[in-house]
Amino acid sequence: MKYKGRTISTSVVIAAVFIGLGVRLAFLHLRPSPGTMERIATGRRLEQETRGPRGRIFDRNGSLLAVDIAAKHVCADPKFIQQYGDVEAVCDAICSQFGMNRATVREMLTKPDRQYVRIQKFVREEMFDPLRKKNLKGLVFEDVPIRDYPKRALGAHVIGYANFEGVGSAGIEQRMNTLLQGVAGLRISQKDGHRREIYQLRTVDIDPQFGSDVYLTIDEQIQHFAEKAIDNLNTKYHPKAAWAIVQNVRTGEILAMASLPTFDLNRFSTAPAEWMRNRAINYTYEPGSTMKAMIVASALDCGAVRSTDIFDCENGAWFYGGTTLHDSHPYGRLSVADIIKKSSNIGAAKVALQMGNAKVYQSLKAFGFGDRTGFDLPGEDAGIVWKTDRWSKISITRIAMGHEVLVTSMQMLSAIGAIANDGIRMKPIIVRKVVNNQGQTLLAPQPEVLSRPIRPETAKQMRRLMARVTQPGGTATAAALPGYLVAGKTGTAQKVNLEHGGYYHDKFIASFVGFLPVENPAISIIVVADEPQQGGYYGGTVCAPYFREIADQTVRYLRIPPEGFTTEYVTEIDNGGSGEENSSD
Amino acid sequence: MKKRQRVRNRKSQVKIPFPVVLANILVFVAVFGLSYVWLCARCDTLGQEIKRLETVQREAHRRMINEQDRWSSQVTPANLDRALKRHNLAMKLPDGQQIIRVRNGVGTATATLAYNK
Repeated sequence: MKYKGRTISTSVVIAAVFIGLGVRLAFLHLRPSPGTMERIATGRRLEQETRGPRGRIFDRNGSLLAVDIAAKHVCADPKFIQQYGDVEAVCDAICSQFGMNRATVREMLTKPDRQYVRIQKFVREEMFDPLRKKNLKGLVFEDVPIRDYPKRALGAHVIGYANFEGVGSAGIEQRMNTLLQGVAGLRISQKDGHRREIYQLRTVDIDPQFGSDVYLTIDEQIQHFAEKAIDNLNTKYHPKAAWAIVQNVRTGEILAMASLPTFDLNRFSTAPAEWMRNRAINYTYEPGSTMKAMIVASALDCGAVRSTDIFDCENGAWFYGGTTLHDSHPYGRLSVADIIKKSSNIGAAKVALQMGNAKVYQSLKAFGFGDRTGFDLPGEDAGIVWKTDRWSKISITRIAMGHEVLVTSMQMLSAIGAIANDGIRMKPIIVRKVVNNQGQTLLAPQPEVLSRPIRPETAKQMRRLMARVTQPGGTATAAALPGYLVAGKTGTAQKVNLEHGGYYHDKFIASFVGFLPVENPAISIIVVADEPQQGGYYGGTVCAPYFREIADQTVRYLRIPPEGFTTEYVTEIDNGGSGEENSSD
Repeated sequence: MKKRQRVRNRKSQVKIPFPVVLANILVFVAVFGLSYVWLCARCDTLGQEIKRLETVQREAHRRMINEQDRWSSQVTPANLDRALKRHNLAMKLPDGQQIIRVRNGVGTATATLAYNK
């Protein structure tokens, strides 16, 4: 009993302390003041937004054309480096790695009041990895995705590019931006005193969604053939620009679309705007004689002429409507078939006159001139076909030879495709399918018929007439391909002088458009050269050989059997020696 | 002496009843507490493991994409052309002169061979 009082008082003190602590804890946990509550919540809150990578772009065979890869911004904390690090060592490492000016780097690193400077943006793994391994104090690497184009300039005008903010700004990247863009993810959680996430308190965790993958109809190999061919054309004739398109006649799928000048997609920001222009779809020009194929086809279709009808080509000069129309070579009497083969302006004009303004206009529209094809690339031009009420007396004769109308190469190829495809004009397709990251197909454009400008019989007849163009005596013998019958039409148009009116006498647009094999067409190709500078300017001279170059490689690559063969057996002969059968279908 | 003995006996005979209920409660609280701590530790470990695996997955994905990109860059037709040239391998598709096309009916006596000229 002696210590009873002390025991009680000690117990009371201890109990009071614990009760006090309990009450304080209870207040903190159960009824903290709003200000305290907010401070705690703000300090603990962890909110991370993770950007979903852009979808990839593939060619028709799944070859990768565009992808988001991991890169870093190389940053530094100058204050920290000056206090705890080694400015010289960091300076040395950065200069040797990125080849930067030492004075500039040093200036960036010697700012004692700054805690953040960005030294180099969008650095690839192979570049920043050696730097990271040096473990230099004060260097920070910020994650950032970068759009990479592993094929560099291949198909540059078709693929386009995404800017540094990850927004598609040209080509397929722009047109398919909504589907290619990923959906950002969100993680809301809380962090502890060491700023580490408290996993148990993660309340929101939405994974970023990858953008959908886009598969193009382009074939990497055929694209390469086309690019190589126009590069060869460029080397020989030095045009201001040259371009080529290869299309599947039956489905309208674009297999290749090449344009020069071109640029490296990984360095798009350094390329002049003129290089980025996809001339295959947005450069309009007067097509010249290639238009004769459509005029004659329509005339045959509506019964205005027959292929055996004879027209007087006036020995190369015909006075009509107060002006004289010339042929490049004088011809006397030519059949309709020969008008195509020899490419007579006067003959084509007279054929058009047999049709009349209204029918010529209708046929141009039916072949798709003056309207966009609806092609899945931004910037397609519609071209110009004036209505007949704006035509002069001689307009019909000029339109017949491809003047007074403006077309794009895509339109011209689409029109020729109609002749190749039994009179059915197909919509050009560039996107084969779009697949999301779960493997579901979101989009799979199907072949679509745009119009039927001529009947199948007329188309068949026209194919045979156009095949004569590449045969001896035609204007494009250089386009002939052994084993195959090639149909086509040359075009050589003087360029319009926009400053002073009229036409330039020394500036031409040369072109050749055709398809093969004639009896069962599989591919159509157009090659165009803008202002060839040396060595010739005729479509048959400048473009036909490169049409052949593309066609030659493409038919073998696609294993398109030649005329009269349904199955291909290939035996290689080694310089006349005996070979062995090495492939078959 | 008697009196002293009696007192002693009384003391030795005092029995404090064992607080069974309290003991049960304490044991229960202890077990509960330990379980809670163990579960917390387990959650923390799992959380760290999840975090680590997330990092591994991200890293693996990043490496895969980078390798795909590198491979795709290496097999660009232009690069292959250059590589072939570098090794003096003049490989090209056979041209028309090097191909014999056999009409349908190949393998029979009536098969027709045709050179493309």
